[in-house]
Amino acid sequence: MADTAATAGAGSSGTRSGSKQSTNPADNYHLARRRTLQVVVSSLLTEAGFESAEKASVETLTEMLQSYISEIGRSAKSYCEHTARTQPTLSDIVVTLVEMGFNVDTLPAYAKRSQRMVITAPPVTNQPVTPKALTAGQNRPHPPHIPSHFPEFPDPHTYIKTPTYREPVSDYQVLREKAASQRRDVERALTRFMAKTGKTQSLFKDDVSTFPLIAARPFTIPYLTALLPSELEMQQMEETDSSEQDEQTDTENLSLHISTAQTEARV
Amino acid sequence: MPPTDLEPARMNRKKGDKGFESPRPYKLTHQVVCINNINFQRKSVVGFVELTIFPTVANLNRIKLNSKQCRIYRVRINDLEAAFIYNDPTLEVCHNESKQRNLNYFSNAYAAAVSAVDPDAGNGELCIKVPSELWKHVDELKVLKIHINFSLDQPKGGLHFVVPNVEGSMAERGAHVFSCGYQNSTRFWFPCVDSYSELCTWKLEFTVDAAMVAVSNGDLVETVYTHDMRKKTFHYMLTIPTAASNISLAIGPFEILVDPYMHEVTHFCLPQLLPLLKHTTSYLHEVFEFYEEILTCRYPYSCFKTVFIDEAYVEVAAYASMSIFSTNLLHSAMIIDETPLTRRCLAQSLAQQFFGCFISRMSWSDEWVLKGISGYIYGLWMKKTFGVNEYRHWIKEELDKIVAYELKTGGVLLHPIFGGGKEKDKYVYYPEVFNKLLSLASTASSQKFQSHMWSQMLVSTYGFLKSISNVSGKDIQPLIKQWVDQSGVVKFYGSFAFNRKRNVLELEIKQDYTSPGTQKYVGPLKVTVQELDGSFNHTLQIEENSLKHDIPCHSKSRRNKKKKIPLMNGEEVDMDLSAMDADSPLLWIRIDPDMSVLRKVEFEQADFMWQYQLRYERDVVAQQESILALEKFPTPASRLALTDILEQEQCFYRVRMSACFCLAKIANSMVSTWTGPPAMKSLFTRMFCCKTCPNIVKTNNFMSFQSYFLQKTMPVAMALLRDVHNLCPKEVLTFILDLIKYNDNRKNKFSDNYYRAEMIDALANSVTPAVSVNNEVRTLDNLNPDVRLILEEITRFLNMEKLLPSYRHTITVSCLRAIRVLQKNGHVPSDPALFKSYAEYGHFVDIRIAALEAVVDYTKVDRSYEELQWLLNMIQNDPVPYVRHKILNMLTKNPPFTKNMESPLCNEALVDQLWKLMNSGTSHDWRLRCGAVDLYFTLFGLSRPSCLPLPELGLVLNLKEKKAVLNPTIIPEVIAGSQEATMNPSSHAQLVGFQNPFSSSQDEEEIDMDTVHDSQAFISHHLNMLERPSTPGLSKYRPASSRPTIIPQHPSGCDGTPSTKPQWNMEFSRKGTGREQSPLEMSMHPAAATPLSVFTKESTSSKHSDHHHHHHHEHKKKKKKHKHKHKHKHKHDSKEKDKEPFTFSSPASGRSIHSPSLSD
Repeated sequence: MADTAATAGAGSSGTRSGSKQSTNPADNYHLARRRTLQVVVSSLLTEAGFESAEKASVETLTEMLQSYISEIGRSAKSYCEHTARTQPTLSDIVVTLVEMGFNVDTLPAYAKRSQRMVITAPPVTNQPVTPKALTAGQNRPHPPHIPSHFPEFPDPHTYIKTPTYREPVSDYQVLREKAASQRRDVERALTRFMAKTGKTQSLFKDDVSTFPLIAARPFTIPYLTALLPSELEMQQMEETDSSEQDEQTDTENLSLHISTAQTEARV
Repeated sequence: MPPTDLEPARMNRKKGDKGFESPRPYKLTHQVVCINNINFQRKSVVGFVELTIFPTVANLNRIKLNSKQCRIYRVRINDLEAAFIYNDPTLEVCHNESKQRNLNYFSNAYAAAVSAVDPDAGNGELCIKVPSELWKHVDELKVLKIHINFSLDQPKGGLHFVVPNVEGSMAERGAHVFSCGYQNSTRFWFPCVDSYSELCTWKLEFTVDAAMVAVSNGDLVETVYTHDMRKKTFHYMLTIPTAASNISLAIGPFEILVDPYMHEVTHFCLPQLLPLLKHTTSYLHEVFEFYEEILTCRYPYSCFKTVFIDEAYVEVAAYASMSIFSTNLLHSAMIIDETPLTRRCLAQSLAQQFFGCFISRMSWSDEWVLKGISGYIYGLWMKKTFGVNEYRHWIKEELDKIVAYELKTGGVLLHPIFGGGKEKDKYVYYPEVFNKLLSLASTASSQKFQSHMWSQMLVSTYGFLKSISNVSGKDIQPLIKQWVDQSGVVKFYGSFAFNRKRNVLELEIKQDYTSPGTQKYVGPLKVTVQELDGSFNHTLQIEENSLKHDIPCHSKSRRNKKKKIPLMNGEEVDMDLSAMDADSPLLWIRIDPDMSVLRKVEFEQADFMWQYQLRYERDVVAQQESILALEKFPTPASRLALTDILEQEQCFYRVRMSACFCLAKIANSMVSTWTGPPAMKSLFTRMFCCKTCPNIVKTNNFMSFQSYFLQKTMPVAMALLRDVHNLCPKEVLTFILDLIKYNDNRKNKFSDNYYRAEMIDALANSVTPAVSVNNEVRTLDNLNPDVRLILEEITRFLNMEKLLPSYRHTITVSCLRAIRVLQKNGHVPSDPALFKSYAEYGHFVDIRIAALEAVVDYTKVDRSYEELQWLLNMIQNDPVPYVRHKILNMLTKNPPFTKNMESPLCNEALVDQLWKLMNSGTSHDWRLRCGAVDLYFTLFGLSRPSCLPLPELGLVLNLKEKKAVLNPTIIPEVIAGSQEATMNPSSHAQLVGFQNPFSSSQDEEEIDMDTVHDSQAFISHHLNMLERPSTPGLSKYRPASSRPTIIPQHPSGCDGTPSTKPQWNMEFSRKGTGREQSPLEMSMHPAAATPLSVFTKESTSSKHSDHHHHHHHEHKKKKKKHKHKHKHKHKHDSKEKDKEPFTFSSPASGRSIHSPSLSD
């Protein structure tokens, strides 16, 4: 009995067992499960010799059974994952039961007891009607290892990837071309921005904007900027080992840089 | 040289046997220098010195020391107050401003002024009277301790303060101070005997802020904190006797690096630069090892310090056990181009530690020996480090330089007159001779190292020659006679003919020994002939009249096509002999291949011979010579030979680089017949561009330096190509622009800043003059589209420099140059404003120099008076001495006008201004004064500038062609006058160059005798008035007028003519100066030691008497009233100050007020 319950608790996802009244499939599922458990509790009570029970006590017992089954499921899952599997095996359940203080040896005898009651399978509810508009394409049938009562695959568009990317640019010449013009654009944009926001000098008296030169600014300690390598260079130096360098590696290298900073800052 | 010089020289050598004879009547044994306060804010220094001297003559009662700029507070001798007088005639060379404006006059006056304070003549600016209480003490030749308290306020030379204007304490700001100067400039910062021949031991103490470090000579004995812990005192001891001129100091918040290989070596640099310092100095220990090995002697000092400072006076300055370098020599591992240059500087300074610092010299005329030996061992290091090719290339470069220099400005004489900086170059041209000398040098030096005879540490020309003959047993007298005692270079013209019948090569070698700067060569000359059968050396004897030399040929001229041709180095090569003359077995001929003669060779041989020489001769010098010669043969064969060389990886990279430029020239000459793409383009594409897309250059990889240099140079040379319209081909410009565009350094281990800079140079090279219609104004609208592209690149590069500055701002420098090129070619309006802003103080020095060069050029092209004034103003006021010097230098090289040119800039005010600059405005810096004289010479020539009105006194100045004639006997004066100052090679040689006109012309120039007389008399009077007439010290000197020195002694040279002067003086005052004077007499009379009273009387009646005011030393303590009637210029100074554009406050004048009276 417990075995079946365990299977029901851990594995089933019962949108189909939901009541007709329920609007929400999840609610339906909960209700159906609950009802099944109540039937189980009731039959056990009957088996134990009770003729009637108060609703509150049945509810309490249902609650306890549910907790027990959930705990078996949770614990079995842990054991299974602990051994790097995704599917619990029988031994996982056994270990779980042992751990929970249950004498597993009594289980076969208990299952074969004479007075046991057989509970019918949960009633199959009607397929909820999905609006036509949402379907797109043909849903894939379940593969053989998935029980048929499991939900169907969603519409293909939700999981099938669409190859919409362009062919990556791998032509060396184009890459170099791109890298060069991109860098040039960035540099020009940057320097123009600096020139616009700061003082400038010009080579032409009549036109100060076509070739704006950022004004010369004396440093207090001029030798520092002149001698110390910039951070960029330092970084580059650490990364670079020219012995590895050859023409081929450029291709990969270039593509990394191309994606950076498009030149929106055209001033 | 005039015979007068030979005699002293001979005597010098005779006396040299006995060792060094001091010109001073005392021997200095020990000196203490204590600087107890350094104020960076006020740029002042306070301290004292204590000199321990032993009189060498009885009756020594005046002690002369050197001191400039210093304010002397108090002098005590053995704790007794001593009277002193402080007079520096070099502050203002010509007194009593007259209309006199010619250089002859100036150099005479300057000679007098310098020798009047020359320690090697026993003179000095500071004259101390020995207190009478000590006379007895002195007569017993007992020790004297002279204690001098001094201070220095805002020194203009000698010590240089660098105080960045930022927040924080002086240490945080990176403020530092260091000693600097040209040759013996120690007197600028403390009183001393500023001579290379006076050695003593030293104790140096410097009290500085606790955050600062003082670096000085010798061992750091201890560092003591003051009681408040805010300052500490560095105590240095130098136990090896050292000349004052080799004492140095650097104080700053230095970062300290103990050399990991040699713990006795310490490096110092300014804050934040430690990583660079580590990399830069990591090589030094190898230089040490090399020198110690070849000299087979240990480095003489117990420690060595290198200090890297900002605003350096020179890149490298070597002092005893420490060298001061420019901080700009520091570099990281990413920099290629600077690395060999910096290593050279380090090696050079180290060579000078051995010869120059440790081994000092006796007199100025011996300077060449030290420069020569240090230059030689430096050359050996170069050979070992950079290889024979680089070494030979260097020798050739230096040889070309000195030949060009001497031919332009006249000969440089090494001895008896020193050669001023060029001697090194000159000397190293005798590598094979030097092999002999080297053994000498090492042996001699090791002997000297053990000797504690101090004078043994001085080297003289004579001593040097003697050691050579002792050690090697060889007599190099003819060599010395040819190159050291004579000036000038040899000019050979060679041509040949092959006599088939006799199988003889008829070589004709002519010499030109009449043009200035040349001399006649007599002696052996090596000629190398490459024949089909091999290479053969022949030694020809060059004699007076033999022009033709017959050289027998070995080859029978029967050509065996299969046979390989043996080369000089034993290699055997296949040659395509189809180009050569079928009758002659000669492939090529070389004259003096080892460069053992200082010569210029112009040799004529056929173009195919030059081509063979280029292709197959293995000597890089020969290859370079042939490249130069091939410029005259623009043929397809030459083109092919050059292209082949360019492609050859084994070929020396410098040869390949010069082949680029030659190829460009040939291509331009062949422009109408040239086929194929522009020269070098396909070559470059093949070597440096991608295989798949030939228009794109590979990403940078500078691992191979040879191809790096070639990659840098080729576009620069290509940009010089011109098409039939004399424009740079569009294809070439596009090519260069593409190189810039596709330049990608991301994967490179090295910085590409030099490469990018050269690309900008290439762009500049491609610029051709703008086509201008009706002189229209240059605006953006009529800008040539090509130029627009160039300008776009320059703008972007220059702007990027602001954000990502390159090492040493090489790119900014190239951009500024390129902009000037665009301006000059009329594409961009000519305007100096941009350059002026980059020339300001606060920019990196390379940028400043590049900008100033553009301003100098603008001044010349646009004849701008305003910019000239701006430059002159900078010469006087810029905080960096190097920049001041450099502006003068650039103005001299690219003068706004020259003496034979009409120019609106040439006017009286400018003459006055420059005159004042060299007369009084540059007294704090020998080098600057020489620079000013050079500029004056370039602008106005030796004689009175033509723009001046005729002088009032009715003098007739015959200036056009005839130069003043001076009696040969006083020529040394001219040079001696430049003694101290003209270590600057150019200016010195300029002065040396005076000789020729002087001695050849018979016409006399009338010189304003009054003023000559006046100033010189003034000086000598000042100097002489202090002598007790009976001073034996002096009388001992007097015979020394004929003593072995080339320096004329004014005070001493006048023994015979004491009565001359008053006579002249009276004559002048009567007649003005209308009388013709023999310059000899002129040079004599001012030096006369006249009785004081006579002199004063005369001078007061002279027309310049208003300048000769009486200087009163008033001392109320003294009972007697003394009236010193000696002329003094102080008042004159102050009077002039207001109107002078160059106000020069003389720190020396009037500072002895607190001193006791100098009365007897």
